[in-house]
Amino acid sequence: MQKEPINLSFDALVIGGGIAGGEAALNLANNGYKVILIEKRLSLGGKMIMLSKVFPTLDCSACITTPKVSEISRHPNITIFTESDLTSIEKTGEKNFIAKVTRRPRYVIAEDCTACQLCEQACPVIVKDQFQYNLVGRKAVYIPFSIASPKVAAIDIENCSLCGACEKVCPPGCIDFTQEPREYIIHAQTAIVATGFRLYDPTNVPRYSYGEARNVITSMQMERLLAPTRPFHTILRSSDGKVPDKIAYVLCAGSRDDSMGNPICSQICCMYSIKQAQLLMGALPMADITLYYIDIRAFGKGYDEFYEQAVGMGVRFVKGKVGRITEKENGNLTLRYEDIATGKLKESEHDLVVLSVGVKPNSEPADIFTSHKLELDSLKFVKQSDPLLSPAKTTIEGVFVAGTATGPKDIPDSILSAGAASSEAISYLNQ
Amino acid sequence: MEKKLGIYICACGGNISDYVDIEKVKDAIKDEDCVILAKTTMFACGDSNQKDMDADIKANDLSGIVVASCSPKLHLTTFRGVSERAGLNKYNYVHANIREQASWAHSDNKTGATEKAILLVKAAIAKARLAEPLVPFKIKSQRSVAVIGAGVAGLKAAIALSRMNDEVFLIERESKIGGKLHDLDTISPEQISGKELLSRLEEDLKKEKNIILLTNSEVVGNSGNIGDFTLTLKISGSKGETTKEIKVGSVLVATGFNSYIPADGEFGFNQIANVITLPQFRDILRNADSKKFVLNGKEINSVAYIYCVGSRQVKGENKYCSRYCCTAAVQASLDLKKKYPDIQNYHFTKGVRTYGKQELIYKESNRVGDIYIQFLDKKPPIVTELDGAISIKAGDLLSEKKEIEALADLVVLVTGMVPDKDPSVGSLFKLPKGRDKFFNEIHMKLRPVETVIDGITIAGTCQGPKNVMESVNSALSAAAKSHSFVSKGELELEPIVAYADKSSCNWCNACSDACPFNAISKIEAEGKEVASINKSTCKGCGMCLPVCPTDSIELISFTNKEMESMIDVLAQ
Repeated sequence: MQKEPINLSFDALVIGGGIAGGEAALNLANNGYKVILIEKRLSLGGKMIMLSKVFPTLDCSACITTPKVSEISRHPNITIFTESDLTSIEKTGEKNFIAKVTRRPRYVIAEDCTACQLCEQACPVIVKDQFQYNLVGRKAVYIPFSIASPKVAAIDIENCSLCGACEKVCPPGCIDFTQEPREYIIHAQTAIVATGFRLYDPTNVPRYSYGEARNVITSMQMERLLAPTRPFHTILRSSDGKVPDKIAYVLCAGSRDDSMGNPICSQICCMYSIKQAQLLMGALPMADITLYYIDIRAFGKGYDEFYEQAVGMGVRFVKGKVGRITEKENGNLTLRYEDIATGKLKESEHDLVVLSVGVKPNSEPADIFTSHKLELDSLKFVKQSDPLLSPAKTTIEGVFVAGTATGPKDIPDSILSAGAASSEAISYLNQ
Repeated sequence: MEKKLGIYICACGGNISDYVDIEKVKDAIKDEDCVILAKTTMFACGDSNQKDMDADIKANDLSGIVVASCSPKLHLTTFRGVSERAGLNKYNYVHANIREQASWAHSDNKTGATEKAILLVKAAIAKARLAEPLVPFKIKSQRSVAVIGAGVAGLKAAIALSRMNDEVFLIERESKIGGKLHDLDTISPEQISGKELLSRLEEDLKKEKNIILLTNSEVVGNSGNIGDFTLTLKISGSKGETTKEIKVGSVLVATGFNSYIPADGEFGFNQIANVITLPQFRDILRNADSKKFVLNGKEINSVAYIYCVGSRQVKGENKYCSRYCCTAAVQASLDLKKKYPDIQNYHFTKGVRTYGKQELIYKESNRVGDIYIQFLDKKPPIVTELDGAISIKAGDLLSEKKEIEALADLVVLVTGMVPDKDPSVGSLFKLPKGRDKFFNEIHMKLRPVETVIDGITIAGTCQGPKNVMESVNSALSAAAKSHSFVSKGELELEPIVAYADKSSCNWCNACSDACPFNAISKIEAEGKEVASINKSTCKGCGMCLPVCPTDSIELISFTNKEMESMIDVLAQ
C-alpha cells in the first residue's frame, strides 16, 4: 500500500493526450519546457489515431499520428501518464497549480512487456473491444490496438476471471495482479486543457434504429472498417457479414437539430462522410454510395474541391434529411426522407447505413478545477474568455485550452489552436 | 570497410502492400551486396518498428539503413531521428519512396508496381553503399523576427513574440495598422466590432517593449538564410523615401487577403445602380441614417444577397470556398434588420455554410423571417433592372427547382477572399502557392505554418480564407514556430550543399544565373575567377549542376558517383 502521494514538478501540465494535447506538449517541450501529459485512456493519440485516412489529402491518419505520438513519447522534456485520472486542480497563486492524479494499475509491468500478445492468446475471456467501437471482441488482457502508444498489454480487471492463464504464458513474467492505484501530486506553472469532444450518441434518436437495426453503424465504426488496422480487412455489414453494395450516409445525425439536443453544426461530418465515400468507392468499386444531407459544408482549404471530386467520382448527393430508418427482414434498411429537389416524401432501400454522428462537448474539465471556476459556454464547451483575440484563454488565468474542448474543429484547426495555446502558455510562463 | 546495411520495407497499412508485394521486394533485395538484414513492417514510422530499428542497428552494428516507404517529405526526419538515437550517422540512412512512386502511381498494375519498387529499393541500396557520414553546420541565430503585415494576424503574432522575449520588427506598408479590422463591423458570433478589437490591440502594442513598428514600410530586399536574414526596407516618410536594413532570424508573413472585385456586369455589378459588394454594403450601412435607409436616392425596403461571388466558381478560376462569407453575410443582414426591422432580406445561396457555433446566427436569421433561396449551378441568379427595382431570378433547389423571382431595392454581392494583389512579398521570399494561389504550408497537419523556405512562417489569410478567430490561432501558432527558430541562439543547417571545384571552374556565370537562392558569387582564387557557393544559403536544390559546362560542381550526398550507381541499377 502506497503511504504518501508522490510529488512531481513541471513547467506545464497538459490534460488530454489526443492530437491537440500532444501538439501543445511538443511545442512547449521543443522550447525547453518540462511538460507532463495526462491521458485518461491506455494510449495516446485520441480519436485521430483511430481514423482511416484524413481529408482532403487522403494521407493515412496513422502515418501522421504515429510519428507524432512517437516523438512525444520519446521527448526528454515530456513525461506521460496514460490510464490516469486527474481528479482535481487547485490554483494557489499565479504560476502555481497543484493537481492530484491517480494512475490506475494496468496489472502489467509496463517496462518489461514486449507486446508479444501471448497473454491475449491465453486469455479465455472475450468482451467487446471499445477501441474498435464494439465491432469485434477482445480479450480481458489485451494490447489496446496495434499502433497504441505505449504498446503495452493491460488487464481489464472488471472482466478478468483471475484464472491466471496470462501469468503462466508471459515470457518476461510481467503480469502483476498486486498493482494498486498510485497517487501523485503534480506541481505546475501552467495548464492546458485538451480534453477533446464526445461523439454524439445516436441511441438518443430512436427513429434511426441505431443499436436495434444491426446494419446501422456510426461513422466512427466505418472509420475502423476502413482503417489500415481494420478488424476484418474488408467492409462487412454486421448482420450477416455481407459486403454491402448500396450504402447510405445520414448526415447531421446529432447536429443542427434541437430535437436531438444539438443546435449547432459539427463542422467535420460533411467532410469525413465525403472522405469515407471516396474511400468506399476505392474499396468497393461496384457499390452505390448516397449521402443524404442538409447543406454540404466543405469550407476549408481544398475542401470544396474535394467535395467536387466526390461528385465527379459518382457519389450521389441527395439534399434532404432522413426522418426514419426501419429494418427489413433481410437486414436491409428503408430510409424515409424528404427529397428537397422534388419536394416529395420518398423511401429508399440500402443494405448499410452510416450515421454521420456529430460532436458533443466533454464537460468533464469543468469539474476538476477546485479553487477557480473553469466556465463552460451555453453549449457546455469550455468557455473562451476572449474568443477573437486570445482564443486559447479560459476563465482562469494561466489555464489555456486547445482543440475541440472549445467546440467542433477539424484536425488542422485543432492543431493550430494547440499552437495558439502553447504560445499563450509560453508568454504566461515568461511573465 | 564494407558497409553493413539494414533494409526496411513498409506496408503502410495497405497503402503500399495492397499493390506492391512487399515480401517479394524483400526476397529480391535480401542478397544484394552489403545487405545483412531485410525486413517488412506494417508501419515503418510506428513506435514499435522504430524500437526494432534501433535494436537492429545496435545489435548488428549496421553502418547504413534503407527505408522503403512513403515520401521522404513525410518521414525523412522521423528516420533520421531513429538513426541518430541508435548511434548511426543520420546521413547513412537512405530513403526509397515506394508509395507515391510505386503503389499509388501504379495501382492498376500490381506486377509492374512490385517490379518498380524492387528497382527503387535496389537503387537506394546502391546509394547507401556509397553514403558518407556528414555533420550539420551550426550557425548563430539572431534573436529577432520580422512580422510582415500589421492586420489582426500580424499584430497578434508580434505581441506574442514580444511576450516570448524576441525582438520584433512589425512592418506595415500602410500608414496605419489594423488591416481589414477597420472594415469589420460586427464579428459573429461574438458581436464585437473590428474597431473595438483594434483599439485593444493598440493598447497591448503600446505595452510591449520588444516591438519596433515600421509603418509606410515595404520589404524590398532579402538575403541570408534561417537564423540570419538581412531584409532591406523602403520607408516612405514626409521627407521622401529612405531605406533601412534589418537583421532577423525568422520572417513571419501575415500579408492578408483582398476582397474579390466582381467584373463589370457580373450580376449587374457596375452596370445596375444599387448592386454593390458586401464590403461596400458594410461601409454604407455603418454611415446610414438611423431612420431611413436610402441609397442613390432610393429608399431600401428589400435587399437580395447573392452568395459565392468570386468563390466556388463553376466557370471562373476560384474553385475554393472562401469560408468566412456565409457567416459575414448572414451577420450583415441581421445588423440591417436590427437597424431597420421592416426590411425584407432574400438570400440567394449555394447552400449556407455557417459551420460550428456560427449555425446559431443562421438559425436567428431564419427566425426573423429572412428568405433563403438555393440557386442551382445550372441556373445561377440573373440580375436585371425592372421598373425602378432590381429583379433577381434563379432556379431554386428548395422549391422543386422552380424559377423564383425576387424584387429588391438593393443587391449585395457576397464577395469572397482572394490573395493579396501585391505579389512582391511572395516573390521576394519565393513562397510557393497552392492551386488557390494563397501561400502554401508544408503540410496541413504536420507543419501548418511553415513554408518550404526554412525560417519563414505564414499566418492568417495569406495562407487561405479564415475568420478572425482562425487567423489569430494561426498567428499564434506561427509565432510559436518562429520563436522556436530563434530562441536557442543556434541552429543546425543541412550539410547537403553544392561545392565548386576551383581547379576546373572557369567562371562563366551559368551556375549563378541558375541558382534560385543567390548563393553563388564570383571570387578570385588560384589566379583566376571562380565560383564560390555560400553553404549557409545553398539549399542543395541541384539547379547549378547540369548547367556547368566543365562539370565542376558536386552536390554532397548526391555526387555523380552516387547518382550514377543508382542509374546503373535502374537501367539494368
